[in-house]
Order: sequence, then C-alpha cells, then structure tokens
Amino acid sequence: MKDNENGIDFSLVLASSVHDMKNSIGMLLASLESVIEDSPPTNEIQARRFSTLHYEASRINSELVQLLTIYRMQNDFLPVLIDEYYILDIFEDQIARNNVLMETKGVGMTLECDGDLNWYVDQDLIGSVVHNILVNCIRYTNSTIYMSAKVENELLCITIADDGKGYPDAMINRPITQIEDVEVSKGGTHLGLYFSDKIASFHKQNNRNGYIELANGGDLGGGIFKMYLP
Amino acid sequence: MSGKINYSKLMFLIADDFGSFRNTVNSMLSSLGATNVVMAATAQEVFLQCQNKKFDVILCDYNLGAGRTGQHVLEELRHKHAISRDTIFIIVSAESSRTIVMCSYDCEPDDYLMKPITAKMLEQRINRLLKQRGIFSTAYAAIEKQDYLTASDILIDLSMAEDRYSNFAQKLLGTVFIRMGDLDKAERLYTRALEVRQVDWARLGLAVVKQARGDLELAGDWLEKIVADNPLYLPAYDAMATNWDKKGEKFNVQFTVQRAVDISPMSILRQKYLAEVATENNDLITALSAQRRSVKLGQYSCHGRAEDHFGFARISSLAVEREMDVDTNIGNEALAILDKAKEQYDLNDVQLAQCSLLAGRIHALERREDLAQSFFAAAEQILENVESNIDLDVDRVLALQSLGDKKKVTELLEELQTVYADDQEALEKLDVFLDEPASDSSREFVATINREGIELYNDARFDEALSCFEKARKLFPKHVGIQLNMVQSLIGKMKADIGDDSVKRDCRDCLNLVESLIDDEHPQYDRYRRLRNMANSI
Repeated sequence: MKDNENGIDFSLVLASSVHDMKNSIGMLLASLESVIEDSPPTNEIQARRFSTLHYEASRINSELVQLLTIYRMQNDFLPVLIDEYYILDIFEDQIARNNVLMETKGVGMTLECDGDLNWYVDQDLIGSVVHNILVNCIRYTNSTIYMSAKVENELLCITIADDGKGYPDAMINRPITQIEDVEVSKGGTHLGLYFSDKIASFHKQNNRNGYIELANGGDLGGGIFKMYLP
Repeated sequence: MSGKINYSKLMFLIADDFGSFRNTVNSMLSSLGATNVVMAATAQEVFLQCQNKKFDVILCDYNLGAGRTGQHVLEELRHKHAISRDTIFIIVSAESSRTIVMCSYDCEPDDYLMKPITAKMLEQRINRLLKQRGIFSTAYAAIEKQDYLTASDILIDLSMAEDRYSNFAQKLLGTVFIRMGDLDKAERLYTRALEVRQVDWARLGLAVVKQARGDLELAGDWLEKIVADNPLYLPAYDAMATNWDKKGEKFNVQFTVQRAVDISPMSILRQKYLAEVATENNDLITALSAQRRSVKLGQYSCHGRAEDHFGFARISSLAVEREMDVDTNIGNEALAILDKAKEQYDLNDVQLAQCSLLAGRIHALERREDLAQSFFAAAEQILENVESNIDLDVDRVLALQSLGDKKKVTELLEELQTVYADDQEALEKLDVFLDEPASDSSREFVATINREGIELYNDARFDEALSCFEKARKLFPKHVGIQLNMVQSLIGKMKADIGDDSVKRDCRDCLNLVESLIDDEHPQYDRYRRLRNMANSI
C-alpha cells in the first residue's frame, strides 16, 4: 500500500467503496428474489428478464467479492481458515444460493458427490470459487450443469461442467498464472479464474499446492472447470 | 438430509436494523413452516426478547447500527447467561470475510451466513445446525454443569464415529481434556489430529498442552510458528501472550498483545490488557491509546466499565506530570472521559469519589489550583461516609502529590501503612510511593533507560545493557527491578563466556543486596530466586 501525493490511499478508498457496493447489490438481490417469489414469471419473456436481472446482479456481486478478496490477498489481510469440511455442504450451499437463478433460467443440475466426502479446505473461499464458476455456467449453459467432487491421486478434484459452447481457445491454451497483470488491465478480466487459481494455491499439503484446469468437451460437450486441492 | 425438521415447533429471533431484511428473512422462515418468529431492530430489543423467551435459533445481523455488532450482542447474551449453549446463534453479515473471521475467533457463533441469503440456504444451514445441536446437546449440558467426565465420555464416542460430527467432537474434546487437566489425553488427541493434517486448532492445542506442562520454550516456539504460517490466527497470539507472561517477560507480553490488537482492533478485552501491560512497562504512550480505545469500545460492550474511564484519566495525568510528549489537550480529554463515565454508568460513592480525585488531580497538574481544591473537597466529603479501598487511597495520594503538598502526602502515606499493615497487596501498591521518593521526571528517565537496557540485553549486547542499568541504579540504589536486570545481564555475560571473575563477583554482590531488600512476599521474589539459582548453577 502506498500513499500517493494527495495523501489518500486510493486502493483503500476503492476497497471500501467496493465493499459498500457489494452490500447494496446484496440488498438488491434479496429484494429481487422476494419479487420473483411474490409474483412468479407468467411467460417465457418474463422468465428471461428475471433471469437476466438476477444473473447480472449475481455476477456483479461475485465480481465485487473477488475484488475485495484480491485486495486482501495483496495486503496480506486474507484470512485462510483451513479445516475439515464436507464438500457436499459446500456444493449444496452454492446451489441453494443460486437456486432462483437456475429456476428462472430453467437450468438442470446433476450433482455427483459422496455425502461422506470430506476434505481440508477453507470453506468460504472454496464456496466463493464454486459460486463464481456456477454463476458463469448458468449464464453460458444451454440446459444443464454437472458438478462433482471425488478424490483422484490423493487430490480432491472438483469439477463444474456445462453444455454450452465452452471456454474460448485462447483461455484454455494459456497458463492461468499468466493472466495476472496484462489481461486484467485490458478489461477482459478473467478475474474469476485468476481468483480461483489463487485460492486453490492457498491450499497446501506435503509440498503440493492446489491448482485449476480448464477444458472443453466431456460428456456435456461444453466448458469444464476443474480444481485440484491437496 | 434425513428426518424432516418441524419448523412450527421452533422459536426464531431475527435481529437486523433494516426492516426490509427482517421481513425478507421472516417470510423465508414462514415458507419453511415457522410460526414463532420474533423480530428485533436493535441490540436492546434482542436483550429484552431473550429475557422473556428461550429461542432455538437467533439470526443476528453483524452490523446492528449505532455502533453495535452481532458480536457485542452474542458476548452480552452469554455474559448475562441470557442464552444457553442450546440456542443456535448465527451471525448474518454483508461485511468482509476478514471481519467475520476475526469475530468468529473472538466470540465463536455457531455459524455465519453471508448476505445475500436465500430461503434454501437458510434452510440448509439451520437443518445442519439443528441436527448438530441434537447430537451434541447432552455433551453441552454436561459441560455447562462442569461434569467433564460425562462430557468427555460422550465426546469420545462422537469423535470416534468418523462421520461429519467427529471433527467438531474432537475439537470440543480437546478443550474438555485441558479443562479436566488431563494433559496426556489432550496431547494424544492433538497429535493424532496433526498426523492427518497440520490444522491450526490442533497445533494450538498441542502448544497449550506444552504450556500447561511448563515447557514454555517449546510452547513459545510452536506458537511463533503457527502465527508465521497464519498471521491472522488470533487465538495463537493470546496463548503466546500468556506464555510470555508465565516467563515473566512483560515487554514481550506487550509486544504480542500489540500484534493481536493491530490485527483485530475491535476487541475491548485485548485493548484493556494492552493498556494494562503497557502501563506496567511504563510505556504510557501505548497505554494511553489502548485505554482510549477501551473506553470507546466500552460504550457498546458488556465488558465496558467505569474503571476504564478512570484508567484513562490516571494514565493521562501521569503523562502530563512527567511532561511527556502527548497531545496538549489530553487533560481536557481526560476530564470529558470522566464526565462520560458519570453519564454512562450508575456510579457508586466510591467511584464518584475516585472521579473527583482524578479530575482534581488533572486540574492541579494544569495549574488550576482552585478547581483542584474544590474537587478534592468534594471527594473528601464523600470519603467521610464510605469505606475506602486501596485503589481509592492511591488516587488520594496521587491527587495530593499533584498539588505538591508533600507534608500531607507523607502523613497520608504513614496513615495508610498502618491501615493496610496486614494487606500485602495494598502495601505493594504503596511501595511505589515509598521506594521511589525521587521526582517523577527522573522516574520516567529511569524507566526509559531501563527499557533501553532490556532491548540491549535482548540483542545480547550485555555490556551496553549493564551500563544502561548502572545509570538507573545510580538514581535508585535500592530499586529491586534494576538490580535484577543487572543480575540477568551479568548471567547473560557469563553464559556467553565473556568476562572474568569480576563478573561473577558483581553478580553475587547484586544478589546479596537484593536479598537484603526483599522477602518472599515481594512481587519480584520469584524472579530473584530464579536468577539466584541460575547464577549458582553457572
């Protein structure tokens, strides 16, 4: 953190207004959900409008959360609280959080996760990664999303896939770690992936760090996001 | 999730300063079948509701407006025993995860939910927590009754089950073992947990076990490692401060508490502790700012006390007396803080007398003698009708001192020595005035060079440390603390194998002098004995 000539630390100002905006969006989302609940969409067009509203608000919300998290990462303020958690709980929380969005958009979900599968993770950080990818998938999928968690090679592998048109080639062919400065400054952000990769890497065990992988295809034929955690 | 939960049988409380949010959550709960939902807009309303009803679930917003947080509410409910362990307390928050994580270290709510929340999320969390409550309720009841044997039996079974509750059961079991004093079992439990994964709670638990066994060196090393890996893990700092305290190293206690306070400035108990050790260490600048914060935080916290206000007045008057480089307005600030104590708390007579004495002292130091005299007169009037205590008497001595009335000070001190002849603790408090008859400015001088000396000692620069302490000793030849600091530096020198026989001789002389000054009830006696043993074993 540096004080600039005006004596104001701009990153701090930015962080606190991001925080404020995030709270407003939170209120907006909650109100929106009660509106949808009180008067459910009566036709296709209405449903689509609701889902657009909801999607955009969710996206802003999760983007702001990411901004804050990245700010904290850079300032060493980010608490990482790793403990034993049930992965199904994390999945269910995020599915529940995006329930209205999925319903208004008519997206189906296949969930493959053993109820007894537990792992050492930061529940909130991993939850926010799942949320972020999920919101993205809901936007780009045609009809269905697949989520799974299993242990491969002593690593927890979380997969989130959809039947949309997949990740652009440029994104798949480049290592995530190179996203950092250039991409972000171009405004094409990919902040979500940068964020996911960072969070994965906070998970360490026996000199192994977590990481993410992107692919296209699979059973659904769309984008596949994988996160491996030691 | 198996076993449908009947929401209509449960009592809910929603606390949020925003009506719209209360209503949203209310309708979410209704849609789940809840019929008993009470709402509160302020912390005060929560306390009122909890007096009359027993809630199963409390959903409390973190930011409750007017400076109050969900953390304050939870702390106060527990403090007043207004809720039992059976009540599920969930903090709902739009705040940053950092604030929430700090809060969860400090007050341990059952869970926290980030806004925006949905009905489904709410249902899942509540179902999980209710299920957990059902499973742990007998263990909680046993812990509450301090029946640790029963509690540990239940928890052992739960922790062996290898299901989703075993981890939680293990954590709880560790603390129960420590409370029972069964360190062997606690150690085995934490070691086993660490074989699977280096989790902070188990690392901390193991360090606390070592500490309880008296292995302070190892415990300190481990704690330092934990915070190096996770600098925001507050419980480790607390254990570390205790560790330094057990070693008698007050400067390191202060340094450690300061680190924790920098990370989490909103904890009033840590701020108070910091003010206390900094005062002991004569670091009045730090003490002042920590005490100021304590007063401020006390406005919303059940841990706020009128004594925090008095403490601020005491430290600031000391700073003025010693002509330290503090805000020139500090006297007025202290007077305002004393007034606030009268507004905020229902003061008894002794406290009112203390208030007047402290205000008088400040006026006297600011050379407003008339005002000072009238405050003292007011205090004396109250004192005629109440039973005094040592803290009040110390304030009386200080007040008279600030007027420069040496004769009265001496008389009062003599009188007090008779009154408290059988009260060692009280006498210790008077020692400050008796042992160090020199001016306050030179006392500050000594404190400063003493501090310098300790720093040099910590850097193993023993000769420089010694010359520092020597300067202080010239002014206070009978000051036990300084003598012992010298002994410690001389031992350091011997251990490092520098110097000749004269070092040994000096060390012996110092120890002999100290022996003639103290008895086994002196606060520094343990330290003296330890250092003597060390010196003899070299």
